[in-house]
Amino acid sequence: MPNFDVVVSSMASGFLLGGILALIALGLSISLGVMRLVNLAHGELLVCGAYLSYFLLSHAGIDPLVGLLLVGAIMAVIALPFQRLLIAPLAGKGMEAPMMTMFGVSIILQNLLLLAFSADTRAIEAPYAARPLSIGPITVSEIYVIGFVVSVLLVGCVHLLVTRTAFGRELRASSADATAAAVMGVDVKRVHALTFALGSACAAMGGVLIGTAFSFTPGTGATYLLISFAIVVLGGIGNIFGTLMAGIAMGLLQSLGAVVLGDGYRDLVGLVLFLLALALRPQGIAMSGGR
Amino acid sequence: MKQIYNATLKALSIGVLVGAANAAMAADEVVIGASIPLSGPLAGFGLYQKWGYETAVNDLNKAGGLTIDGKKVPVKLVIRDDKTDPSVTASNTETLISRDKAVAMLGSCTPALVNAGALVAERRKVPLVAGCDPLQAFKSVRKWQYAWVMFFDETDLATAPFRMMKDLNLQTNRKVAILADNGPDGALVGGKIWPETAKAEGYTVVQNTSFPVDSQQFTSMVAEAKSNGADVVLVDAIPPQAIAMRKQMASAGFTPKILVMEKGAEPEFFAKATGKLANGVLVGGYWDPSFPYPGAADLGKRFETETRQTQSQHIADSHAAAQVLLDAIAAAGTTDREKINAAIAKTNKSYVIGPVKFDASNTSAIPITVMQWQDGKAVVVWPKDRANGKLLFPLPESK
Amino acid sequence: MLTSQLSHPSHPEPLPSPLELANMSRFCAYLFLPACLLALAVIAPAMSDYALEIGFRLLLLITLAEAWNLLAGYGGLVSLGTASFVGIGAYALTGLVNQADVPFFLAIPAAGLAAALLALTVSRAVFRLRGLYFTVGTLALAEALRMFMVNYSGFGGASGLFLSVDPPGLLELFWTALAIFAVTSLAMTVATSSRFSILLRAVRDDEDAAAQIGVRPFRIKLIAFLVASFLMGMAGALQGLKVGAVEPYGMFGIQWTVNVLSIVIIGGQGLRAGPIVGALFVVLLSELLADYPALHLAITGVILIVVIRFAPKGLVGLFQRRPRAAGGVQ
Repeated sequence: MPNFDVVVSSMASGFLLGGILALIALGLSISLGVMRLVNLAHGELLVCGAYLSYFLLSHAGIDPLVGLLLVGAIMAVIALPFQRLLIAPLAGKGMEAPMMTMFGVSIILQNLLLLAFSADTRAIEAPYAARPLSIGPITVSEIYVIGFVVSVLLVGCVHLLVTRTAFGRELRASSADATAAAVMGVDVKRVHALTFALGSACAAMGGVLIGTAFSFTPGTGATYLLISFAIVVLGGIGNIFGTLMAGIAMGLLQSLGAVVLGDGYRDLVGLVLFLLALALRPQGIAMSGGR
Repeated sequence: MKQIYNATLKALSIGVLVGAANAAMAADEVVIGASIPLSGPLAGFGLYQKWGYETAVNDLNKAGGLTIDGKKVPVKLVIRDDKTDPSVTASNTETLISRDKAVAMLGSCTPALVNAGALVAERRKVPLVAGCDPLQAFKSVRKWQYAWVMFFDETDLATAPFRMMKDLNLQTNRKVAILADNGPDGALVGGKIWPETAKAEGYTVVQNTSFPVDSQQFTSMVAEAKSNGADVVLVDAIPPQAIAMRKQMASAGFTPKILVMEKGAEPEFFAKATGKLANGVLVGGYWDPSFPYPGAADLGKRFETETRQTQSQHIADSHAAAQVLLDAIAAAGTTDREKINAAIAKTNKSYVIGPVKFDASNTSAIPITVMQWQDGKAVVVWPKDRANGKLLFPLPESK
Repeated sequence: MLTSQLSHPSHPEPLPSPLELANMSRFCAYLFLPACLLALAVIAPAMSDYALEIGFRLLLLITLAEAWNLLAGYGGLVSLGTASFVGIGAYALTGLVNQADVPFFLAIPAAGLAAALLALTVSRAVFRLRGLYFTVGTLALAEALRMFMVNYSGFGGASGLFLSVDPPGLLELFWTALAIFAVTSLAMTVATSSRFSILLRAVRDDEDAAAQIGVRPFRIKLIAFLVASFLMGMAGALQGLKVGAVEPYGMFGIQWTVNVLSIVIIGGQGLRAGPIVGALFVVLLSELLADYPALHLAITGVILIVVIRFAPKGLVGLFQRRPRAAGGVQ
């Protein structure tokens, strides 16, 4: 067992990373909750966000954090026609058809990215991308702290959006019972489209953080897809606060696994946790039953 | 009925494919096949291999082609994408031999893919020349007859940093931390050769961690290395991991005196993705345009002009592999595979990668040099007779 | 699905009676298809190596697709865990041949049994999940297994294992593939034209309602799962035999799941001819576009999307113009 400093720093890093993972998982959660859409292209949306930020930096000199909301907005704008064209027509035909469509989209996106940007691993450069931050015995990466703060803020904003605004009301109504919501005058189609856009924006913004803290290739999305699913299920589908908690929990537990078993087992630990959660309590660990 | 319809469709399609397969290919050309990773995680290598193979073949065709049975015949290179999947490499190799009538094969990249293709070629008694497969990993599969590899030996690679440190008399606290992936060469280099060499040279291995090829998080092992206070850190990981690791080291405030990152620090995008953090990182290399081999400088320049990307060592080993094969076919003067295979065995010439001569286990070793990233350029720093720059020691602190 | 059978569009032409349909499909299954397979087996020695290679690939993919179709199309269990059974089959075969000198024709079914064993082990946990949780759960399982195989050096770790004996020639491999396909076809025919098929569809359409009328969903799902995994394991074993080297990224990789999924979706889920048509289409496409790899990948994704959008019952569904007789066997 490594010494105290190492353990504490690892746990702190895991905690912070968990926040970022929660942001990424958030997009998946709301799509799943509102539209019952198993978005298998979620990982690719994340990577698209990273590439967007990379090119904003290299061609316009926009710092990734400064351009974060811009990336989110661009992604949302791109995602809207996707949804109208591909997913909306399949509404009401069950869960598989949209899932497989998104699967096809993920194949196409991955190969488009490969063609356009080659397989080279890239990383978004920023002065804070690889700086340590030391508080007492704990040393964590500065970008983790920044990423955590940003993610919690964004998750908080989405939460406010969903619970305090008119759109949020419509969103919750549509997810609880789409037919009833339609009867009450909610434009369910519009809600679905905007939800998908919001989810994509969250994924893209998470991608920017990941791209700055680590690195990315056209194929990086696949890793984050599974972790996102795990977090979504752990936190309860559609439960925003639950997703945040679950993300942080996942980060902590993965770090614990890394400290005890070795970094290589991080992903395996995450998956095993996921499977356990699925087996024991598929509706999520988070206590609150509401959305 | 539907099922009759579909069964007939099946029979018809197989018939069509059989017919297409038997459609005579032009008899007046020599077909060489290559299955390389043009998509998937190793697509980066595939790009260089494609250029290297195609350039060698195009140059030969421009010079008139090969003389087969007294006639001058062009060479046709058929390239297939194996999507970084060994099953596809095997399947492609089969179809290149059976459908495209390839006379000989050029190999893919990395042990898993090269092995898959070489096993098929071996079974079909088709000569295969490859350049992107470390020798021990190749030799450990079986005793080869038709597959030939020219690349570096992992032992040479692994001992190079130690030889360099001794040669240049670099002062460190002689504590070594090893972080290697658990792939074939990672396990060999990190699991066996590095610890053994360290011990033999009087270094203490304070940490030896292994991890899978797809992990991205190294914070725990980096923190451990830092707290162990190792001055020498030896890493064997693929580029995405090397990049993540370098950044995470900086984020942990860990700056050893010597940082070697085999495999991962090799391509140019490592330096691009890590920026200033790449300065001082050491990596074993086997080729640089500045080496005194025939056509080395020109090859580098050509690649950069034609593709507008920075050159990589892999253009040289693939170009040389193709030339070795083409020379062997020319020497044999026939498309008889046995004769071509015998001609490959007799190869003894200097190519752009250096001197090539195969030994009894069908391998030809390329000597290793140590390179270092300095301001975005890979500088050869050891051995002294190959060096084209000065070693930066110790690793600069990341600001 | 229930509603389409209840509605009565006016038929311009007389429909075959259910008895006629059943007889037709029995004729196909027991006479015509075996005859075709036998014919193929006989002319195999005369086929070129290329045709044998393509035929092998086709047969293997059809086997996998049929097995997946049984699970997902007929059983409603959309599993993304195909890769785990293929991988287990391949590794089991390599282990049996290397360590115990088991002859090939025994090792292949044994490997299939190993895969079925895995299915049995996880069935209790996995069947508690419904719908999308099941799908995601199988994906997680497959990935977890792959990661385990990569990390655990006892099975060769990331370097994998090599077959210590030389694999049989292409002709023998082709015949073996034919045999496995024959077994698969038989299994599918039994599963889809017997009482089991009705039970399976009952569970697929509404598990709770089925349970209430006396069907035992867990047992039905388990049978389908075991059969499917057995077939997938054998296919994996055969592939492992052919390549002669197994390692986690190639044998447990997601591409197995992806390819099989694409084939069944394109061909038509839940339709008897879906996997065959889908596999034919995919293999033909891949051979035609062999020289244009980037195009091929892009087209596959586009076709998938287009088929889902405009031909939800796949290519086979497009050809089915006549409305099905209520209660008729497909």
